[in-house]
Amino acid sequence: MKKNYAIIFVFLFTFLSCEKDDICVESTTPNLIIKFYDNDDQTVVKQITELTVWADSKDSIYVNKSLDSISIPLNLNENFTKYILESNTIKDTIKFTYSRNDIFVSRSCGYKTIFENFQIESNTTNWIKNISIINSTIDNEKAAHIYIFH
Amino acid sequence: MRKQHIFIYFISILFTISVNSQEKIDTVKTKESYGIRIGLDISKPITSFLDNNTNGYEFVGDIRVFKNYYAAVELGFTDKTTIEDYLNFTTKGSYFKAGFNYNVYKNWKGMNNEIYIGLRYGLSFFNQTLNSYTPHVKGTYFTPNTLEPNTEFNDLTAQWVEIVFGMKVETFKNLYLGVSVSFNNMLNTKEPENFKNLYVPGFNRVFLNNAGVGFNYTLSYLIPIFKKEEK
Repeated sequence: MKKNYAIIFVFLFTFLSCEKDDICVESTTPNLIIKFYDNDDQTVVKQITELTVWADSKDSIYVNKSLDSISIPLNLNENFTKYILESNTIKDTIKFTYSRNDIFVSRSCGYKTIFENFQIESNTTNWIKNISIINSTIDNEKAAHIYIFH
Repeated sequence: MRKQHIFIYFISILFTISVNSQEKIDTVKTKESYGIRIGLDISKPITSFLDNNTNGYEFVGDIRVFKNYYAAVELGFTDKTTIEDYLNFTTKGSYFKAGFNYNVYKNWKGMNNEIYIGLRYGLSFFNQTLNSYTPHVKGTYFTPNTLEPNTEFNDLTAQWVEIVFGMKVETFKNLYLGVSVSFNNMLNTKEPENFKNLYVPGFNRVFLNNAGVGFNYTLSYLIPIFKKEEK
């Protein structure tokens, strides 16, 4: 009989070893990652000074920062997002367009949105010299999606 | 001295006779009922009544095959809406479980209670409807709208195994109250596209490692078919 109980307990633990799925730990909707490069030597990362970033008619995400890359969210309710990047009081506006695709992640995370056919519809060139899209599908935050040359 | 010995001899004979006759009374054979026991899970209508998001019923039945073995089935239907932080979905479907119970409880003569361990195979046919979801975003810079796609995923199936621990007590003649807990392990599921079977009728909530837990409280009636003498 004691042996039977031991077997029962082994079964119990194999069945009861539930994993936690109440807390969202997976990566969800990715941000757009922009990296800044030197326009003269396009392989050299060039920091940008006094950078302030905000989306059209929203609050600033970065204020007067010196950075070589930024991570900014895209609007999930529209197929475009307009960002204003200001460096040393010179403003440039970039309008990004994309299509959205919602991918199931897990019980606790629900769905994440990934952005496909990512394009730059228009941009001003006051301090920005050039922009190149590295990856037109934004589904992770592992690497920069666009490079800005200045 | 000799007289005394003879006297003791006669007394001892009497004693053994009386003991023998008592044993004979003890070995009077009792009859145990064999038959079909049918019932229903009384917790399901109660939770249906208390919780607007859950609706279901379950019928249970078993047949005593051998002295301690019972072949058991459960049949049920579930309509449940699950609300998560970023999801809201409805699962609707029926299930069937079949297996056996092994009674480990040694009853006194004439009693028919059970403490059992059981095994089940479970099968479910169901639909999922994704009522609404909100895309998950870190931060609050852009607040996503909640979408209501009402996507239906039909003809889904799941198969699993259960280990059941439970007991049944005869409260009135042939009327049994039962309680059991089951530990479930998913064997395979037909998953919806770009969604997941987070709840399966009969299996209940599907945990991340494909495990599940179930409870039932049953009221069942034994329809005696024949009586078998037990030694």
